[in-house]
Amino acid sequence: MTRLRRTIRDNAVPLALISPAILIILMVVLLPLIFSFYTSFTNYRLIRPDSLWQWIGTRNYERVLGDWDFWVAFGRTVLFLTVVLNLELLFGLGLALLVNRITWGQRTMRTIMMFPMMFSPILVGFQFKYLFNDTIGLVNNGLQALGLTREAIPFLVDRWLAFFSIAFAEIWMSTSIFAILILAGLFAMPKDPIEAAKVDGCSNWQVFRHITLPFLMPFIYIAMTIRSLDVARAYDIVDVMTGGGPAGRTELLWTLIARTAYDDARMGRANAMAYVSILLSIFFTWFFFRKLMAARKHLGAF
Amino acid sequence: MAKFLKSTALGMAAFAIAGSAAAQDYGNFDGYTLRVKLIGGAQYEPLYTLIPQWEEATGATVDILSRKSHFELDREMKQDIASGNIDYCVFSNHTNFAPQYDTMTEPLDGLIAADVIADFSPLVISHATVGDALFSLPRHSDVSNMFYVKSLYEDADNKAKFKAAYGYDLAPPDTWAQASDQAKFFSNPPDHYGTHFAGKDEGITGRFYEMLIAEGGKLLNDDMSPAFNSEAGVRALNFFVDLYQSGAVPAGTTNYVWDDLGLGFAAGAVAWDLDWAGWAAYFNGSDSKIGGDVGVALAPMGSSGKRTGWSGSHSFSVTKDCDNKEAAASFLTFLTSHDSQMHEARLGLLPTRSQVWTDVIAEFEAADNDFMVEVFSVWGESMANHAFTPPLIAEWGEISNALWPRLQAAVLGDMTAEEALKKASDEVTEVMEDAGHL
Repeated sequence: MTRLRRTIRDNAVPLALISPAILIILMVVLLPLIFSFYTSFTNYRLIRPDSLWQWIGTRNYERVLGDWDFWVAFGRTVLFLTVVLNLELLFGLGLALLVNRITWGQRTMRTIMMFPMMFSPILVGFQFKYLFNDTIGLVNNGLQALGLTREAIPFLVDRWLAFFSIAFAEIWMSTSIFAILILAGLFAMPKDPIEAAKVDGCSNWQVFRHITLPFLMPFIYIAMTIRSLDVARAYDIVDVMTGGGPAGRTELLWTLIARTAYDDARMGRANAMAYVSILLSIFFTWFFFRKLMAARKHLGAF
Repeated sequence: MAKFLKSTALGMAAFAIAGSAAAQDYGNFDGYTLRVKLIGGAQYEPLYTLIPQWEEATGATVDILSRKSHFELDREMKQDIASGNIDYCVFSNHTNFAPQYDTMTEPLDGLIAADVIADFSPLVISHATVGDALFSLPRHSDVSNMFYVKSLYEDADNKAKFKAAYGYDLAPPDTWAQASDQAKFFSNPPDHYGTHFAGKDEGITGRFYEMLIAEGGKLLNDDMSPAFNSEAGVRALNFFVDLYQSGAVPAGTTNYVWDDLGLGFAAGAVAWDLDWAGWAAYFNGSDSKIGGDVGVALAPMGSSGKRTGWSGSHSFSVTKDCDNKEAAASFLTFLTSHDSQMHEARLGLLPTRSQVWTDVIAEFEAADNDFMVEVFSVWGESMANHAFTPPLIAEWGEISNALWPRLQAAVLGDMTAEEALKKASDEVTEVMEDAGHL
């Protein structure tokens, strides 16, 4: 206790100076979190403000944990994250390596590469909804015109085609995030180890596998962390393209939560879902940070 | 020339409205700013071009805080209710969703003069009444009837083949069983389909609901427990399942909502389309591939002999927290006045005032617009005798959200109609328990 008092006395000025920032963070971040956590134990419905005070204990959590549809959406979100992150990484890495080799017009290429990121997700959703439409969609019409099929392929209806259609849209929009971060890593990379390896007779693949890639891994894990948080909250594109349907075939956590919260106005239950879902984001963040630390350690030894 | 006549007619109509706005006493609210949230979108906006006339007549100013689609506005108002931040006076409402805004809605019974309300269709006023209170003033109504491609039905070859296959004459369907036969007959995927239907959100719930009523079923029991898990419910749902599984509708119909359907019919992709009157002028106009070839008919009957007629009206309401309810009531009266409704009816929207039905039909007759005369006759008959709303309770949206994914599952073959309705029924029971009805 005396120690604490001494610490406060010794650091009175810095503490006083940062206290407004702490206070603002508490108000902006912590209060809404506490409020939403509280509501997850109530029967809070948006259209009935009085229901905010109807304490129902753990009923929302019991229902969410016992709700098969929720767990299916949870599992699908994990699968979606895995597919999207891995493909974005592969394409982003390929794109960055290609752009890095360009000696003329590289700046223009970098700018062009960022175009998909500049579109609103809602716009991207509408664009791909049209492209994959079964009757008037460009993809179907193209395939039929080329004589590759006589059938109208139900891209947004079939369970797996719909899943890959929304994944395609998500990947199209955000691969450049990986590409830009990896490109930054390539720019920051010292040339000496590569030149030394080449002098020692390493092949291009060996240079990439043992020197370039380990150096890029921290950048890749930072991109993975950022994108895992983004994709775990994927909503706009999916909502526009399929609305989580048909028959829940493309339902992800946030399409389900948003519908429960706003369309159904059952905010208490939606918050319970959200708190269970946060476990997913926490897991992925923890996982990629561990990987990031390991990669950095590896680099240190390098 | 046609364009000139059209713009002259619109100009004269606007002049007439301007004259009548000034003639009718909407009160004096000089210097007052009326804050409103209105539904946006192509078919709703033309009415708002008249607002400056009310401003001129009353001296007030209208500040439009929001102009969003129905679903976006719905979310916004739920947030307003939750935060208690209702600092506006008038909002766009819909009779089927009005009960969920009850905590923010001021009943209009004392605010709007009784003789004004008396000019509205009694059925529509009853749809806008929740309990004993008039929650909103209806602006225009919606009900669906049949649009069909006339040339397909008049083609001698089609007639002969249909008769040979189904044993009765090819004509616009009077029953849903006939409509189903015809959808299958005309279907030739992937180039052409018999029909399509709204396959998600409230669209498919509404279509199922009206079919349920036409099959003699009901959505809820008197004690508010779900009643749709019944033989009539299974028959109603299997109508859609059968259309889908037989390939009479596009595979993507489970993702379609109103724009997809309207644009699809106008593109000539289907033979018949159960749709709203607001599309009529577009379907038969020059921008449509089937322009001049469109027929209309009353929505067919189900096996109970009742016609489908899921209906509702877009409307306006006044908030409880409004600081000038007289100004708000005056604004509502103006936006739903005879002349304002004529303005919308000319575009094909269904009026809620009885006299406007007569007057707009007379106007179309005078202009030799036989198609629109027929549209208004069919839809008038439908609104007068066959239209019905969902149960006017705050939980309609939640019931719909519990139902439609299950309906889709049955349509796609993921589960049987019986399983789908059982699951939906269990979820609706939970919704009604949480809402305190059970």
